[in-house]
Amino acid sequence: MLFQFNRKREGAYTEERKSRTEHRPIEEATVPEYLMFPLAMHIGAPAKPTVEEGDYVKLGQLIAEKDGFISANIYASVSGKVIDISDQPTVHGKGPCITIKNDYKDVRAEPLFKQGEELSQKAKLALIEQAGIVGMGGATFPTSVKLSPPPGKEIDTLIINGAECESYSTSDHRLMVEYAEGLIEGIRVLVEVLPVKKAYIAIESNAHESVAVMKKAIIEHDHIEIRELETIYPQGSEKNLIKTLTGREVPPGGLPADVHTVVANVATTYAVYEAVRLGRPLTKRVTTVSGEPIKEAKNLWVRIGTPINHLIDECDGFQSSPGKMIHGGPMMGRPLTSGQVPITKGSSVITFLEKGDIVPAERTPCIQCSECLNVCPISLQPIMISNAYENGDIDEAEKLGAMDCIDCGNCSYICPSKIPLLENIRSAKSAIRARKEDK
Amino acid sequence: MSHSIALMQEKLLNTPAPHLYSKRKSSWIMQQVMIALVFPTIAAIYFFGWHVLVMVALGIGSSVAFEYLYQKWKGIDITISDYSAALTGMLIGLSLPVTAPWWSIIVGSAFAILIVKQLPGGIGRNAFNPAVAARVMLKVFFTPWITNWVTPQPDVVSTATPLQYIGNFSRAVPEHMGHGEFPGLWDLFLGIGLGGNVGETSKLAILLGLIYLVGRGIIGLKIPVIYVTAFAAIMSIYGNFSFTYMITHVLSGTLLFGAVYMATDYSSGALTPDGKKVFALGCAILTALIRIVFNFPGGVGIAILIMNGFAPLIDKHFASRIYGHKKRPAQEHS
Repeated sequence: MLFQFNRKREGAYTEERKSRTEHRPIEEATVPEYLMFPLAMHIGAPAKPTVEEGDYVKLGQLIAEKDGFISANIYASVSGKVIDISDQPTVHGKGPCITIKNDYKDVRAEPLFKQGEELSQKAKLALIEQAGIVGMGGATFPTSVKLSPPPGKEIDTLIINGAECESYSTSDHRLMVEYAEGLIEGIRVLVEVLPVKKAYIAIESNAHESVAVMKKAIIEHDHIEIRELETIYPQGSEKNLIKTLTGREVPPGGLPADVHTVVANVATTYAVYEAVRLGRPLTKRVTTVSGEPIKEAKNLWVRIGTPINHLIDECDGFQSSPGKMIHGGPMMGRPLTSGQVPITKGSSVITFLEKGDIVPAERTPCIQCSECLNVCPISLQPIMISNAYENGDIDEAEKLGAMDCIDCGNCSYICPSKIPLLENIRSAKSAIRARKEDK
Repeated sequence: MSHSIALMQEKLLNTPAPHLYSKRKSSWIMQQVMIALVFPTIAAIYFFGWHVLVMVALGIGSSVAFEYLYQKWKGIDITISDYSAALTGMLIGLSLPVTAPWWSIIVGSAFAILIVKQLPGGIGRNAFNPAVAARVMLKVFFTPWITNWVTPQPDVVSTATPLQYIGNFSRAVPEHMGHGEFPGLWDLFLGIGLGGNVGETSKLAILLGLIYLVGRGIIGLKIPVIYVTAFAAIMSIYGNFSFTYMITHVLSGTLLFGAVYMATDYSSGALTPDGKKVFALGCAILTALIRIVFNFPGGVGIAILIMNGFAPLIDKHFASRIYGHKKRPAQEHS
């Protein structure tokens, strides 16, 4: 690395900042009194409530059902009473939520199927759909849809994404270290459902512990292979992972299925195990709560619907004043201004940043250092797109590939002149989309 | 507890991602290049004496002053704190022979900063490398004063440079040069007994600068390595595969200094990864052509300036193929 011939690389070496939680076992978070379930906690159509205000619900009971092909079921993560269905703060601002008052009895609903029942491939796929499983790495795309590719796009490769490339996040890492067996079971289910002959588990090389544990866990499973990858952001981005492991490139605007590949996140795979082997719908997940302002950074088993404020208390509050609260990691996460926002299926990490960290230096003129080109994982020319946008030349921005941008944030991160490159590219994208709709 | 949480949340910033930024700033990058130039500066002081410091100081001082005065006069943001003007001045100071009159450094700085850099809009907007343009301009218009090459003390005498003997269609290295012997390879490498521009005398110092720049991640090895190896290859072929002829060319004149500090300039060079390769290759071919065909040594400055002019075209044509696409953007939209 010291003597690079080429400064072009597959991403940026961002700060990892995982040391506070990477060796910390996952703890069970206490459960709050009120839990909020946004109906749109996945990509696609919001789910439709199946309960009404005043209804009593059990833990694991369906409270909102999928509405359309790309949508997902939502289950109660506690037992108690539905007290409200109205707009509440969510990751995306405000949206309809079902609020449940916990009775702290954890009365369980019937499992999704009777234990001991022999399940067909189709039944397993149906269970994954029924359990409300979506991509838990943050994309929240319904997993069952990924697993049912259209004819002609037969899947031959399954990639389990354990490349947790965002700073601070260690939830997938801990899941691999502590729940390897369940994870392997989940992979076996996915391999049967697809069906594929080979599955890769992709892990970044900085996660030594999970690599070691997973290597041990797969010894008797010839069809599963560990691929240790360079620690570089965004190694875990779906498109880049596919290219790194298979050499294939997802076509512009396409899906992994177009190149016969399915990528499933580690947490998603574990949820598949719980649904298909134990009959449990998706009601909890592991979330890392970290960042310098947090007093006790932790990896927590969190019931879906738990407000972030509750988790801050769970981590003994703040040791310094936070400047930003982020749903997700610092590179791609969404900034939040309300601690009322609940944990959803896609909440792998909640990051708090100190004030000193978040204020970019003043913007200065571009010095043409070409670092934004060097770190772009899909080989765009961010500064050229940004210039085109600032000059009002939307045509040029489109020709330069603005629509291909995966929003990883590397260009803005690396820029020594602190030019808001990603912001400009995003604006260019909106302008291109708006223009297409006009036509 | 929740009360304090609520209070703190009132002050949360909600600007979009990314939320963290690399600590690297443009001014830091410029400082690093100046630090890398300290190696050739020390070598120059060793060979040519303390007057080199005066040259460098004069270059930096006048360049910064011209930028300041211009921006003050125009009423625009003063950018001298980004170290870019200082870097240009340092390069100019090191780009001239020790006999260069003091005013030539100031004329060079004025040309570099006012005409080449500020006229097109300041930092990052200049198509041509200001320091290179200044040295070429000085060479063209002030030749009797500027190219009065001298060998280092104790006897400051005008001498010819090795390049005047191996250029001009010569295909071999002569044994003698003027009254003395042709310098040996080690002398050329270390800079012993050589005339020329003060900064480019010691190739060892230039290589140390290169190691520093690459180690700090300011530049990759790509441009210097392609420039020098392609140039060496052409000279090998032209010199009937004489190693001495080839290596003498590589170690003479501004080639290494230009390949490390000038062709790698951000603003005037190519932006795209493949464009940089083409740019470096073009510099190599032009430098070789100028040295072989024309009756004057050097050629590095002119070669780099010509390639500076082509850089935008090269970038347009050689922009990388985007992930998932079949062709480069230039070919997709033609």
